[in-house]
Amino acid sequence: MNEYEHVEILLVDDSALDAELAIRGLKEHKLANDVVWVKDGEQALDYVYRRGQFEGRSGVGPRLILLDLKMPKVDGIEVTRIIKGDPKMRHIPIVIMTSSKEERDISESYSLGANSYIVKPVDFEALANVASQAGYYWLAINRVPG
Amino acid sequence: MIIGRPSNTIRGKLLFVVLVATSLALLISGAAMAIYELRDFRETWVNDLTAQADVIGLAAAPALQFQDPDAAYEYLALLKAKPNITGAVIYEANGALFASYSPSEQEVAFPSLPDVDGHQVREDELILFKRIVANDEILGTVGLRASYDLTGRLLDYLAILGAIMALSLIGAALISRRLQRTITEPLAEVTSVARQVMEQRDFSLRAAKSSNDEIGLLVDAFNDMLNEIGRRAEVLETSNKALEQQVRERERAEEARAAGERRNRTLVTAITQVVWVANRRGQFVEEQSGWSRYTGQTRDYYRELGWRRAFDQAAQNELELAWARALNEPEAFELELKLWHEASGAYRLVSVRAVPVLSQEDAVDEWIGAVTDIEDQRRNEEALRTLNAELEDRVSARTAQLQAANKELESFSYSVSHDLRAPLRAINGFANLLWEDHKDKLDDEAQRKLSIIRGQADRMGMLIDDLLAFSRLGRKSINPAHLDMAELVANTFERLNGSHESSNAEFRVGKLPGATGDRSLLEQVWSNLLSNAIKFSSREDHPLVEVGGIVEESENVYYVRDNGVGFDPRYQEKLFGVFQRLHDESEYPGTGVGLALVHRIITRHGGRVWADSRPGDGATFHFSLPKDVPNE
Repeated sequence: MNEYEHVEILLVDDSALDAELAIRGLKEHKLANDVVWVKDGEQALDYVYRRGQFEGRSGVGPRLILLDLKMPKVDGIEVTRIIKGDPKMRHIPIVIMTSSKEERDISESYSLGANSYIVKPVDFEALANVASQAGYYWLAINRVPG
Repeated sequence: MIIGRPSNTIRGKLLFVVLVATSLALLISGAAMAIYELRDFRETWVNDLTAQADVIGLAAAPALQFQDPDAAYEYLALLKAKPNITGAVIYEANGALFASYSPSEQEVAFPSLPDVDGHQVREDELILFKRIVANDEILGTVGLRASYDLTGRLLDYLAILGAIMALSLIGAALISRRLQRTITEPLAEVTSVARQVMEQRDFSLRAAKSSNDEIGLLVDAFNDMLNEIGRRAEVLETSNKALEQQVRERERAEEARAAGERRNRTLVTAITQVVWVANRRGQFVEEQSGWSRYTGQTRDYYRELGWRRAFDQAAQNELELAWARALNEPEAFELELKLWHEASGAYRLVSVRAVPVLSQEDAVDEWIGAVTDIEDQRRNEEALRTLNAELEDRVSARTAQLQAANKELESFSYSVSHDLRAPLRAINGFANLLWEDHKDKLDDEAQRKLSIIRGQADRMGMLIDDLLAFSRLGRKSINPAHLDMAELVANTFERLNGSHESSNAEFRVGKLPGATGDRSLLEQVWSNLLSNAIKFSSREDHPLVEVGGIVEESENVYYVRDNGVGFDPRYQEKLFGVFQRLHDESEYPGTGVGLALVHRIITRHGGRVWADSRPGDGATFHFSLPKDVPNE
């Protein structure tokens, strides 16, 4: 297992059911080993900046953030703004997961610097495309065909 | 024609002249001839008598010699043949009467002695004595006495003269009458022309010239005079007309002035405004009836500068300043001031306007002004302003409400798109998991029910998507661009036909005029109409989809025709409603939003959508787009 196989995905979604379905999908694509699931934007920021409950956590990354938009406390837009506004963190690709193709969501997330968006339920084919476009070939490489 | 009283006509006068001249000539010549004739008559008569006496003397000489008085008488009696000889005697040489003869019984008076030879005229008698001489011896004397009928002769003569004169005059009259024509006719012509000119006042008439004599000159002069008169008359007429025109104009001006004055007077009394006149120093001099009525000031009060006291104190100060300025530099000014109104017993807001009346030298003669009560007007304006402000407030409140409602709607649809989907995703996702993880534990019936759950969850997802798309459309702005409809249709059809794997519809495209509209929205229209056509014709043996367009005057009409199941035209109205479906979902899947979307897009482009069909006979959907897209 090379270092690229050490995948770290931060899944941010307040819906446990959506998260379960997403993790299940990632598992099926053998990407679930390093998935960390947090339930809102605050926790996501804590994880990225290693603070709060994630203070002193091990590991690098995350290498990719799958970010739901509509969340309590700090929403996905806010998270995107903070991370993409931080020169040290802006390299982390963010893929927005939206419930619909609402133009407002899409344009806002793009304007804040999100790398891409996918419509829930997560279509893993699309996710792989997005990731590869973002330069993360591991997703594509590790994808199990079928 | 009476001679002796000259007629009034030229003819008469000429005739008179001719006749007088003729008469005079005849009389003079007649008189001369008469005198000559009378003298001649006497001489002839004396000679005649002398010859008689000689003859008698010769005859009677023998009787004397023979002293035969009877023979002498015989000879004397021969004088009977001369009736005018009234007596004859023969004297003897010694002077004794020898014989005497008288034609009448009366004795003829002869002197007793013979006179010497010769004759004498006594009254109307000629007495003649002649010696009878024979052989140089005086034998006796013959005495003859004859009536000297000069008067009769004169009368005869005069009668002849009169007859001659009468004939001459008649002849002269006739001849002159004929000759006169050459004179009088041109004159009559001139006269008649002159009369015509007088009666008709036609100075273009001219007398004809028939000779070159004085009358010709007269005609010429007359014509020249007519010319001149005509010219003068023309000039006179022109100047008369000009004068009349001037008079009329003056009358009109006078009328207008009078009307203007009447109007002014009426105006002053009729208008609600108070009109006043002040002298050049701003003093009231004349009577100001309007001012009195409004302010209740009597003339004693308002005269000179007293009128200013009718304003309230602040207004008086303002007015004083304004007047000071105006007297310095005479210009019209207008002020809004509080003026005492007698009828309402209060100060009311008025507009005071003063205009200087300038003399020709630009000096101020007087001031004319108007006072307009604007209290009510101001109050109304104020009320109107308040009302307007209220209205504006209400409009902005309503707008805010609308905006809030819009925002609410937006956040509602946003919530729908997120929150309504979350449970749906769970239902669908976990049904899938159940299928994947526990499929072998489910019997056929359980699997059937699970697949229904999955199917309906999918369908609900689609419904939500379509509904959101529909509601988004209401908010989306149209970006008009020129579109190649043929290209748009070809691309859309290709994309659609690829996705309908079971479909192998024949596609015929006619001429499609270009359009101006929003590309993505019109693509949506074509997409919905074409997919409907493909869908509803998919069960035909030879599905056929035809597309075409017609250019009309102000719009382009496009259509999509299929040979599919069609629809009952009775439900045509329902076709374009949201979630309206005319066919069984299991046969022809769909949410019933597609045509509602088409309707909404086309309507927003200013066009129309309609359809016609019969069941089993295919359907044609038309939509029109205006050539000029209205600005939204």
